[in-house]
Amino acid sequence: MKRALIGGIGNVLLGDDGIGPYVVRLLDSMYAFDERVDENADENVEIADLGTPALDLTHQIVGLHALILVDSVASDGVGDDPAGTILLFRKEDILRETSTQRLDPHSPALSECLMTAAMLGDSPEHVLLVGIVGKCYEPGDPLTAAVRESVGDAIDAILQELHRLGFAFRKKTTCDEPGIWWSDRKVQLFPEQRNVMESRD
Amino acid sequence: MAKRITIDPITRIEGHLRIDVEVDNYAVSNAWASCTMWRGIEKILRGRDPRDAWLFTQRFCGVCTTVHAMASVRSVEDALKLEIPLNAQYIRNLILIAHALHDHIVHFYQLSALDWVDVLQIPKADPAATSKLAESLSPWTRNSRNELKAAQDRVNAVASSGQLGIFANGYWGHPAMRLSPDVNLLAFSHYVQALEYQRKALQVVGILGGKTPHIQNLTVGGVANAIDLDSPSALGMSQLEMIRTLLEEVVQFVQQVYFVDVCAVAAMYPEWFKIGSGVRNYLAVPDLPLDSQGSSYDLPGGYIRDGNLVDVKKFQTASDPIFRQSVTEDVMHAYYQGDKPLHPWAGETEPAFTGWNGEEKYSWVKAPRFNGEPMQVGPLAQVLIGYAQGHPLTRKYTDLAIEKVAAIGGVRPTPAMLHSTLGRHAARAIRACMLAELAQKHLQLLVDNVAKGDYTVHNQPVMPSHEVEGVGTHEAPRGTLSHWIVIKDEKIKNYQAVVPSTWNASPRDRSGAHGPYEASLLHTPLARPEEPLEVLRTVHSFDPCMACACHAFDPSGRKIGVAKIL
Repeated sequence: MKRALIGGIGNVLLGDDGIGPYVVRLLDSMYAFDERVDENADENVEIADLGTPALDLTHQIVGLHALILVDSVASDGVGDDPAGTILLFRKEDILRETSTQRLDPHSPALSECLMTAAMLGDSPEHVLLVGIVGKCYEPGDPLTAAVRESVGDAIDAILQELHRLGFAFRKKTTCDEPGIWWSDRKVQLFPEQRNVMESRD
Repeated sequence: MAKRITIDPITRIEGHLRIDVEVDNYAVSNAWASCTMWRGIEKILRGRDPRDAWLFTQRFCGVCTTVHAMASVRSVEDALKLEIPLNAQYIRNLILIAHALHDHIVHFYQLSALDWVDVLQIPKADPAATSKLAESLSPWTRNSRNELKAAQDRVNAVASSGQLGIFANGYWGHPAMRLSPDVNLLAFSHYVQALEYQRKALQVVGILGGKTPHIQNLTVGGVANAIDLDSPSALGMSQLEMIRTLLEEVVQFVQQVYFVDVCAVAAMYPEWFKIGSGVRNYLAVPDLPLDSQGSSYDLPGGYIRDGNLVDVKKFQTASDPIFRQSVTEDVMHAYYQGDKPLHPWAGETEPAFTGWNGEEKYSWVKAPRFNGEPMQVGPLAQVLIGYAQGHPLTRKYTDLAIEKVAAIGGVRPTPAMLHSTLGRHAARAIRACMLAELAQKHLQLLVDNVAKGDYTVHNQPVMPSHEVEGVGTHEAPRGTLSHWIVIKDEKIKNYQAVVPSTWNASPRDRSGAHGPYEASLLHTPLARPEEPLEVLRTVHSFDPCMACACHAFDPSGRKIGVAKIL
């Protein structure tokens, strides 16, 4: 079985930190992954709002062929990228992060989880982190406009990666309700343009 | 002159816990625990429907999602005086137990074992001798020479790659590391196996909760699991059998591996029964209700003052009047506005950030107090309170632990020695064994009740028009969790969560009394102050969790935790 996981990471209650779950829920409402490129291929694409899993990410990623994560990121520390900029990271970029003393089990642990999976001999072959530069992480705040507008590009990045790796997908004729339950705003979908817009209800 | 050491995991936005200690003559002379992150999530809940609160509260934290969901529905049910059908109680109890078993296994192996186990000694181990040693300790079937050799090969592969990867941060070769190569290998082999068994525990949460993380099956008044013995899509025989099989494997791992490993570490580091005590006031609430009204429980609660087990007090219910009346939070040394301790129902969360100042404000954690005193919460509190009350299940596994440690190391610990760093690890393993046994009991209770033809899972809540208050408690993996709610006009008027790590990571209060982390570090000896392994051992023994779970990948390569000397 060739498995891919598309995971949204972040805390939906903390402003732009919720962009990961937001993107994967929209993707799930707009696209189906039930077709096969190769009829004989045994492949599976799973989409999950993972929240902020820390070390618990390990068991989600062990044995995957492809891992695609969407998360808010700080700017890359070189230029000051504005909010909404999409930064892509591969496995080697993530593993370059120095993880040091862990005081609590809740700090983010992406590189640690990848290293643990590697030690178990079953690390995902392909890893892509779709990072969206965030701006505001205040409790209860909505996504900032710039971050919200990056959703279409983030979804494109995910679909390109799936295409590159030979996973099939198709646009649904009717979008499902995306289930952004934490937002007081109504999410409007325009599937023919794949732009995702929001407006005050 | 005292040297200041800061252990600070802070990055741009995800940093949680910071520890500062002053070291004088190779021992800790003063300590500060700070949470480095603003945590005002409760404010979002005001004005919302109380029945929706649990969906939000389970996003407080990325790892203990279920516990905040559970405390939240219980707070509303307490306010509405709503009874819960038996099936719902059993299903909730099974979820809570399975989550706790997952959490305790991960805590010991993935978070703290490498404080005691020196990975770089493992290449010197002899798998055959290790296997023989293991067989003398436990009937566990996965201690074979081949299994141990495979674990050793994993370490050799990482070590020979030139990059230590997952092991890059250990204090290897530290003089406080003392296990033999064979014992190091045995513990490491279980570290690898633990990844497998904690996942099985989570699968139980997933089957009952619909998904994990973020269970979907709760509702104020019960659960949303449809019970139908013959339907594959509802909770029926096939799912219950799957849960039984998973639990059997987890129970074996907990009782034959985790429990034994903790006893072995304790036997080989007996001096740690004398280090790390600190606050000897303990608090636990009763949990795992056995009836609809919540009048009897499988886990006892109460409190102990100043380590005096003889005078233990008992809470009759999970929202005992004494508990309801006695909790306040003080913000003298926390980054909030306010000039007097407040009861959670009247609690305020208005930030007043000043920057770290050990004499003034230095943490985002408030200082919760019980009758004005700091309390230690967690498995140690639960075990001491249960033991002091003569609770049979607590006594059974505590006595077993004492025998096991004595058999391995020749030192016979007393219950009083549990006031320590090792005591916290031992108590967690004791509690895990108790929960493992209770998991099977509650599964049987559920099966038996359903077999009687009772399929009820929910009682409809009715919102009163007048103002009501409630407290929902849960004895979570890290200790007493309480959610406090005020409901008016069917909306949330106020909401405060007093989480276990708020009790334990508490800063000083206005009287200057240290919180439990801080007090536990005082007088800790440090062999090499520049590598404060001993501080980590004690801090990790609490299983810290800053429960704020803001999280963003930081690509600039900033360190996630550094120990630096100022």
